[in-house]
Amino acid sequence: MEWDWEFSIQILPQLWEGVKVTIQATILGTMIAMTLGLLLAIARRSANEWISRPVGVFAELIRGTPLLVQLYFLFYVLPDLGLLLSPLTAGVLGLGLHYSTYTAEVYRTGIDAIPKGQWEASKATNLSANQTWTHIIIPQAIPPMIPALANYFVAMFKETPLLAAITVLELMNQARSVANYHYKYVEPMTMVGLFFLAVSVPSVILLRKLEARFAPSNS
Amino acid sequence: MKKTMKHLIVAIVLGVSLTGATGMPVLAADLEQLKEQGFARIAIANEPPWTMVTTGGEVSGAAPDLARAVLKKLGVNDVVASVSEYGAMIPGVQARRFDMVAAGLFIKPERCKAVLFSQPDLCDAESFMIKAGNPLNLKSFADVASSGAKIGVVGGGTEEKLAIEAGVDRANIVVVPDPQSGAKLLQDGRIDVYALPVLSISDLLKKAKDPSLAMFAPVENTPIFCAGVAFRKQDSALRNAYDVALAAMKASGEFAAIVEPYGYSADAAMQQTRENLCGGPN
Repeated sequence: MEWDWEFSIQILPQLWEGVKVTIQATILGTMIAMTLGLLLAIARRSANEWISRPVGVFAELIRGTPLLVQLYFLFYVLPDLGLLLSPLTAGVLGLGLHYSTYTAEVYRTGIDAIPKGQWEASKATNLSANQTWTHIIIPQAIPPMIPALANYFVAMFKETPLLAAITVLELMNQARSVANYHYKYVEPMTMVGLFFLAVSVPSVILLRKLEARFAPSNS
Repeated sequence: MKKTMKHLIVAIVLGVSLTGATGMPVLAADLEQLKEQGFARIAIANEPPWTMVTTGGEVSGAAPDLARAVLKKLGVNDVVASVSEYGAMIPGVQARRFDMVAAGLFIKPERCKAVLFSQPDLCDAESFMIKAGNPLNLKSFADVASSGAKIGVVGGGTEEKLAIEAGVDRANIVVVPDPQSGAKLLQDGRIDVYALPVLSISDLLKKAKDPSLAMFAPVENTPIFCAGVAFRKQDSALRNAYDVALAAMKASGEFAAIVEPYGYSADAAMQQTRENLCGGPN
């Protein structure tokens, strides 16, 4: 096994194209997961059973099936039903949808941690449901959730190579294409690993800091 | 406590590496060893009619059937196949994951540098699967490059290289996860053309039964490619023994009896030589 520096430098531009797509998919996927997760959490708490029950079933369905299966469904089955999504759109949607069911649980525990007195006080001061959520509950519930949410952000980032299965040209797919063309795996795969480390190690350090900053015991 | 922990870890690591060493089945694909264990490990791709795995899990297709027959002559009774991407086959055989590649891997000069090939066995021309009527008028890889069409290829296949060499933009080359899904991508309009050998596209079209799909063949400015079985560079004795048995089967007509039912021309393979395809000795 030999490391070929010239080859590594030669393939760098192609891998960089993949890095851009990986980052794009992670950021877009996170945006969907964060917002959709909040909506899911609120809908599941709804007093109206016609809303809370179906949403609950939907969330369990998504959480109980592998992301790869969902990606294949979005990419190969939806076109038969008349909805053709581009590979990246299908991938981002799959990631976002899948992780929204996890972030929903984070939101749920965060909301449940708000003392009952806050809800009662909101009612007593005649706030509407809307005002209660936006001014009382969410601002108090979010900070303790940040470390857990950031954790899912890192997890999602590491799941992006799955998008290669639906032809998204992200980093892993570019590396495979390089490997297939040159019959060399050491350099491209090592560089993929290094890139993921380069992002996830600082993220973990940042996470530790977030945890210290927002830990419930300190508040 | 810490010390015992350390000892435990050392013991585990040692244990794993020791069992790993003794559990290693074959170090060099030596014919005697293959005979003794009764089978050879081959790489296939599941691209009918070259290689296929039936719904019952049985391995067939022209390349594995032929390899099985040749190996039987050599006293190796069976093959055990693993499905792999084309690009991963050569690294896989180098890393001893398989004893040989019997997937219809085309004999090409750059591959001859990495592995040893048997004499040619399966030959075919390149073709395009396109929408009926060929709306973009794609007749060559150069047409694909100049029209900006999206082309589907299998990872590490000959077509991927042909597309890159013809100047098709990397963003327009879609690597399909497996040969079958390429037809689906074309049906859904995700790609404009799907490049594979003639017999593969014919097989896919037969199965798809979709009048909106058609084949254009042969692709202009591409030669007829011939495949061979690929071996590790070190396994020249095995390759040479394989060649002798293959030549005998070509002479006796057994070779034609295996490959022609799949649609391959036995004559095309017999007229071609490895040295010619490699551009030198291999």
